[in-house]
Amino acid sequence: MWGQTIAIARNAFREAVRDRVLYNLVLFALLLIASAVFLGELSAGEEAKIIVDLGLSAMLLFGVFIAIFVGVGLVYKEIERRTIYAILSKPIGRGQFLLGKYLGLSVTLLVNVLVMGIGVTLALVYVRRGWDPLAGRVWPAILLIYVELLIITGVALLFSSFSSPALSALLTFFVFIIGHFSSDLKALAESSASMSARWLFRSLYYGLPNLSRYSVITATAHGLPPDAAGSLAAVAYALVYVTVLLSAATLIFRRRNFK
Amino acid sequence: MNLRTSSDLILILVLLSGLGIAVCLSRWIDGRSRTKAEFEEKLYLDGPAARRLALSFNGLAADWYWMRSLQYVGGKIVNYQDTHEGRSDLTSLSTLDLRLLPSLLDVTTTLDPQFIAAYEYGAVILPEVKPEAAVALLQKGISANPDSWRLYQHLGYIYWQRKEYDHASEAYAAGSKLPGAPGWVAAMAARMKAERGSRDAAREMYEHLAESSGDNAVKEMVDHQLMRLDWLDDRDVLRKMIGDYRQQTGRCPQSWRELADRFGGTRLRIDLNTGSPVDASQLPYHLTDGGCDVDLDRQSRVPPS
Repeated sequence: MWGQTIAIARNAFREAVRDRVLYNLVLFALLLIASAVFLGELSAGEEAKIIVDLGLSAMLLFGVFIAIFVGVGLVYKEIERRTIYAILSKPIGRGQFLLGKYLGLSVTLLVNVLVMGIGVTLALVYVRRGWDPLAGRVWPAILLIYVELLIITGVALLFSSFSSPALSALLTFFVFIIGHFSSDLKALAESSASMSARWLFRSLYYGLPNLSRYSVITATAHGLPPDAAGSLAAVAYALVYVTVLLSAATLIFRRRNFK
Repeated sequence: MNLRTSSDLILILVLLSGLGIAVCLSRWIDGRSRTKAEFEEKLYLDGPAARRLALSFNGLAADWYWMRSLQYVGGKIVNYQDTHEGRSDLTSLSTLDLRLLPSLLDVTTTLDPQFIAAYEYGAVILPEVKPEAAVALLQKGISANPDSWRLYQHLGYIYWQRKEYDHASEAYAAGSKLPGAPGWVAAMAARMKAERGSRDAAREMYEHLAESSGDNAVKEMVDHQLMRLDWLDDRDVLRKMIGDYRQQTGRCPQSWRELADRFGGTRLRIDLNTGSPVDASQLPYHLTDGGCDVDLDRQSRVPPS
């Protein structure tokens, strides 16, 4: 079972590489080099902080774009090219197919995040003219960014299992935005006078992914590591949430008629 | 030349001439549009709104506002120097119209409450622009970073500038109790209480400010303030000498040469070629008011008292 899933994952990764998804790394490298060279004059001694902010924010932003735009096309492309008939005619479950596609994109994102992380580390070493503890402290934040991207990929895959790529991209982007407003949803639920409004906001708060748990970039830029227990809980939350998303996507995809 | 090559050449020509025309049009539109000053004095977002809209990118947004604050002050200084005679720097900020700076720093620190450099910058610049905003910014910084003794040091400096010596002493005393605070912070608390606005206390405070700050602009400001304190000390010494001379001779000296024998044993800097006392920027002091008073040279880098 796992052999087939891994084969699909490998194929999804190759496809992403063939689609030149990793070219964004060149843009990222240019961004960091330009920042490392020019920020010294603009930031009044805060270049290390700004490199961390800029590097990790770009990592998240590029990652979200890849997760959304590649994620929504994972299933759609196979249907459009009619290759899905050939795949599903083999002894491969639809759930396996989705899981393979998900893992393939997750590996693409992992490569992306790792290379970007190394870029940020090198940029810090360059601006500090040697090793700086901050260069090591950015890695827990990079892990949390990756975990956030895993959730976004799951959301994109879920939407793409039943809607068009454009609509899926839009809906996934909304989830990304709302996911960062989770604390506001909770506050709205607590402050609403109406029972139904309170119920609605509370459902949204618990139903949608709480992505603010992965926002540690600002603290990291000051050299403050994320709280270990909180980070572990956030990783566990992501694993559970991704499982739920993939299960929902499989349920919908199983009922989909390709005729 | 085949058809494809000639059409490629035409396309390249269109591309280059199009870019050239676009640049010319942009310059023409820029020249016609209203002056930059009419647009720049607006900040569309307050701190909490900016924080919400920044999603996970609040650190990056804070950096943006921080660099905008630096550019804002730098731009005002350059603009002042272009349109006025004389030099403007961090010691003469009241001549600049920096009305947007408190809001810029407020947004910066709301987006990133741990951004110590922004509080420090505000502590140095804002007292001359809007003193109450400087105090508010530092108090906001202290509530977000209760363990930072440097913020208490800056708050003490602001109160000292406002001649609120008791508050300054309290700020230094509170900072001295924090872990990592050097011994001189407690000493400054006592000194503020005892000596209040004395020049020696001021000199020590500026020296510690320069030591604890990594910002070159702060160090430059401190250098200027120390030069000003030296000038005030020199002026007291020279005025006393002129007074003694007048008492003995019944007239004011017409040149420094007449006072030359009194310069020995003082901390005055003397130009060995001319025999004149000089300021910290090595320019000579001038006798004014018919020789009965002393003043700085017009080209002096020492800020006036």
